[in-house]
Amino acid sequence: MQSAWYPIALAEGLERGTSVGTRLFGRELVVWRDAAGSSHVWEDRCPHRGMRLSFGFVRDNHIACLYHGWQYDASARCRYIPAHPDLAVPNSIRVATYASLERLGFVWAYGELDRADPEPLQFAERTVTPVRSLYVEATTAKVLDALASTIDRAVDNAASGTQCSRTASLVSLAISGDEILIAVQPLSEQETALHIVIAGPADVHRGASQKRISAWSEALRRKLETSTSQIRPGATS
Amino acid sequence: MSEIRLYDFELDENCYKVRLLLSVLAVPYRKMAVNMIPGGEHLEPPLLALNPRGSLPILLDGELVLSEAEPIMIYLARAYDAADKWLPSDANGLAMVAMWLQFASRDLHAAWRARRHAMFDASGDEQALHHAARRAFRLMDDHMTAREFDDAAWFVGTAPSLADLALFPAIALSRDFAVEHETYPALRRWMRRVRAIPGFITMPGIPDYY
Repeated sequence: MQSAWYPIALAEGLERGTSVGTRLFGRELVVWRDAAGSSHVWEDRCPHRGMRLSFGFVRDNHIACLYHGWQYDASARCRYIPAHPDLAVPNSIRVATYASLERLGFVWAYGELDRADPEPLQFAERTVTPVRSLYVEATTAKVLDALASTIDRAVDNAASGTQCSRTASLVSLAISGDEILIAVQPLSEQETALHIVIAGPADVHRGASQKRISAWSEALRRKLETSTSQIRPGATS
Repeated sequence: MSEIRLYDFELDENCYKVRLLLSVLAVPYRKMAVNMIPGGEHLEPPLLALNPRGSLPILLDGELVLSEAEPIMIYLARAYDAADKWLPSDANGLAMVAMWLQFASRDLHAAWRARRHAMFDASGDEQALHHAARRAFRLMDDHMTAREFDDAAWFVGTAPSLADLALFPAIALSRDFAVEHETYPALRRWMRRVRAIPGFITMPGIPDYY
């Protein structure tokens, strides 16, 4: 995995007090949001017995392992071990973490464990309307090729502000008059997640635009999973 | 009125569908524990006399003998939910719920078989069953994604229905056959709502904590 920022979730879809497991290049991550609203991205592994923390549960500002109930606070330190309720837990017991932040409606994680001072994420904040996360059984390269083809057509139609490259984690394109941003998450060698938002405020774009973009993305997924060759310009609708 | 009897196997998700509905309806019943696995009691003459198909659950209510979860749920809703909350009476709502009940018994049967294969060594093409189960879960996630754009929280209508209760067990238990919830964000949010339905109960494999 390159040392870079990767999108791993749609921020709005991650409700307070919940956790979910996800992957970056096959590595297992847990992303969770505490009761105060802050999101956290950690290695998905309890240091005690290696159980996936995403199987556990969030209470207030900590996440607890389903296996033996070890509780970790927002700084990833273990604060409570139910089998030893009177024990002052040593500070050395902690979960490995990924630097993370929320921008453009996505949760981003830096692809290097316990990196204290990662380079800044280059994208500026904008107001967005979330659409959905789309999970596709296709390589990230194939997804980016398909998006680039779509953009070629968009550029032909004189849409502005489009960009894409084979290594991009964020793609901007125009669909039926809406500018959409797609953050691309490499889950594994065979699977890719596309987190999709519309640029602009929700009071304008919620409802009809969300449905239209979601339907477009489902058609893209169908094509990506049925075709073995690169999607040509004009092949997506 | 005579007591309702449910022939039940605790680890079976189809039995769980009926237990879940009986619980949210707060209808008292007597649970008749059947040693389905490993005993195969459901294939012995006494239970075959009630249900020649050799499946569980079986429900007895007075003279009525019913098998298969979805028809049992339809009966219980009509008989014990006077307000028609769980099974709509209007044509559209009723048809939509019926469609998802059929989805639960047909499309999600692959998930039932995949879980049987993983937990109890039942026969089956594991890869094909996983593929079919994931396809069904994705259809459900796409549906709930679209529903959320309309600010709708449930599979059909504006309140939970039999559809939600019949669809919940397969996805809630999917980790038993190693299908994670990672790729079904709308279903994760919907499952939290199902868990908050008054009278909701769990079964082995569905954690009390979440």
